[in-house]
Amino acid sequence: MKTIALLGQPNSGKSTLFNALTGSHQHVGNWPGKTVERAEGYFTYGEDLFRIVDLPGSYGLTANSAEEVVTRNFVEHGNADIVCIIVDASQLERSLYMLADFAGIERPVMLVLNMMDVAEQKGKKIDVQKIQSLLNIPVLGFTASNLEGYSKFFETLKSAIENPAKISSAKIREIALANASKTDDGKSASDGRESSPVVALEKLLDGLDFGRREKFWMVSKLLENDVLVCAEVKAAMKPDAWGKIQKVLDDEGSNGGLVTGEAKYRFISETLREVTSAAEKIAKLSRFDKIATHRIWGKFVAFFILVITLAVSMTIAVPIIMCCFGLQGVVEPLVNNALGAWPAVASFVNSVIVGGLAVTVAMVGFVFAILVTFGLMEDTGYLARSSYVFDSWLSRLGLHGKAFMPLVSGLACTGGAVCGTRVLDTRGQRLFAMVLLWSIPCGSKVAVVLFLASVFFGSAAPLFGIIYVALIFASFWLSAKLFGRKLVPVDERVGMIMELPPYHKPHWKILMKTVGRNTWEVFKKAIIVIWLISFVFWILSYSRDGLVAHSLLYRIGNFIEPFTQIFGMRWQLFISYIGGIFSKEASLGVMSVVFSSSSDAFSLIARNEAGANLGEMMRAAISLPEALAFIFASMFNVPCVLTMGTTYRETRSAKWTAAIAGYYFAISLGLAFIVYHIALWAI
Amino acid sequence: MKENQKGLIQKINGDSRFVSRVVSMGLPPSSSFLVLQNDGRSPVLLYSHDTMIAINRKECAQIDVEMA
Repeated sequence: MKTIALLGQPNSGKSTLFNALTGSHQHVGNWPGKTVERAEGYFTYGEDLFRIVDLPGSYGLTANSAEEVVTRNFVEHGNADIVCIIVDASQLERSLYMLADFAGIERPVMLVLNMMDVAEQKGKKIDVQKIQSLLNIPVLGFTASNLEGYSKFFETLKSAIENPAKISSAKIREIALANASKTDDGKSASDGRESSPVVALEKLLDGLDFGRREKFWMVSKLLENDVLVCAEVKAAMKPDAWGKIQKVLDDEGSNGGLVTGEAKYRFISETLREVTSAAEKIAKLSRFDKIATHRIWGKFVAFFILVITLAVSMTIAVPIIMCCFGLQGVVEPLVNNALGAWPAVASFVNSVIVGGLAVTVAMVGFVFAILVTFGLMEDTGYLARSSYVFDSWLSRLGLHGKAFMPLVSGLACTGGAVCGTRVLDTRGQRLFAMVLLWSIPCGSKVAVVLFLASVFFGSAAPLFGIIYVALIFASFWLSAKLFGRKLVPVDERVGMIMELPPYHKPHWKILMKTVGRNTWEVFKKAIIVIWLISFVFWILSYSRDGLVAHSLLYRIGNFIEPFTQIFGMRWQLFISYIGGIFSKEASLGVMSVVFSSSSDAFSLIARNEAGANLGEMMRAAISLPEALAFIFASMFNVPCVLTMGTTYRETRSAKWTAAIAGYYFAISLGLAFIVYHIALWAI
Repeated sequence: MKENQKGLIQKINGDSRFVSRVVSMGLPPSSSFLVLQNDGRSPVLLYSHDTMIAINRKECAQIDVEMA
């Protein structure tokens, strides 16, 4: 089996290529000891099996973030048989920086010029053969989104493996030295060369072995102040020798990175001089972009586009959801009839198997809608525009502007939005966005909170809405204090410098395949969790005669009541609060069970019946301070099992999922405690 | 600089992290760019090497340019 490392800048079409090659044969995990996502997949060509590792996207190879460290380590020390560098042919010069930064690492390499169709539309002519002969490595020009063109990819891959070719940094070195001799005024050309820091550093590095890396590559990374190379060289040398190197670097300061950077780009433009021709075009902001990037209008456009695309994708999902609940209504009586002789079994099938399935399908419908929406926005390039207009808001929390879309879609469905955080680039950013997302209420949470508020406080209910919004911002602030610094280290935060890529047509086929696969994965994980939790609830609340007083729940409830009273919740309320973890609607269902006499918390029919007189029942049984405590606890309760399930799936860390859940338990119970005691004192 | 003016990057000031970020995004010294949007408040939009790049105003102040 051969291993291919896939290396490319963001927006180069790397993930399109990866998804098209591997289909469902992919595996996402963590890099050992790192909190960075590791995506790898398998495909076969002819008789051969290939493993392909999708390296985290970055613009260059200097190790500034955790993602870039992973990419670098794998390229330098990993076990790739070939490194496949993918670049955007429509912005060849900029995109090839990755190749120039890679040059000097002695590994077999192949170059893929992606989006040749876009380049052609832009009137660019690229002579692929000539690039190949100039660089002396296998080069392929193709379009990754066109699934018919892959035979060419496989042919190039095969020849690249049979005749391994490497790319040297010698030319870049020459350019860097030539530049040095030009800029040093007053000295003769050769003096400039000799006194250049490149030569000085090369002399100081004499005698060291760099494995698969050329000496100039090491020198250029030293000049760029690369953390990994600096540490490696420092460890390999005597302290006084390192001191000399340190002195050269200190003299250069950040200028060193400019010298090498300029040389790399000059190398690219010299290579491309003869192989590309383009019609001179005058760049202008398109009429749409003028509005989409406007300080004020851009924000409206972003909301509008988000709502429209969500609405459109929901119209696909809603019929499925409706069918599902319709079927639940049909199946419940059927089960009751068929299993009439065993009421316990009928109750189990209805509330655990059927009920759990219905809830899961409904929730996964939201996940599907959000994934389609985000996929489209990312594919077309619009996501970057929305990030641009919202960056100033989110950067105050330490988040990238890209986090805006997932955070807002949290209003539709928290669990789905958790999947949507994939658009963020680093794991720290994703985790932090998830922490914030949990406090953004989805539609059903808002409905439950406002329902409770109107039951107990009538016309004062809107006031709760305002307090709720204020509390959400307060919780953002708290989360930023508690988690922000750890997850998004302050020294890794760079002011916004981002690319707004040209608009592209969406790749429907690949998009729908990827979304379909991800939705199915979420469904598989969620259904197991939901069945398990429904089962536990069912066991606890089941009693032979249907009376709550004879269920396990009642006994446990009474046992823990002294504790839950601290938060102003009698055991019935506390159990409803716990039920709210299952889903927001379930907390009302549980209430109807524990405050009335019988019926199942998760049965659709029971819920509908109870809904009618739930308000009256509650007003009779619950005091105002208790109601306040419960309402506030519900605001920051753990959103739902689906959210927990997707958070676990997306973080792949039980520790983090538990930490976030624990954090929200603490906030919601703490809030209940405060509100309850103030209310007791005031009323 | 105003909208629709062309310029050349001269020098990038700041720490190595910032320099490497700007360089790898496609704005090394001596590259030319066109200002697409500069409304005085939101980040500046540039066009360079076939793509649009947005840079915060504070970061822009760290980049020396000359008019072309």
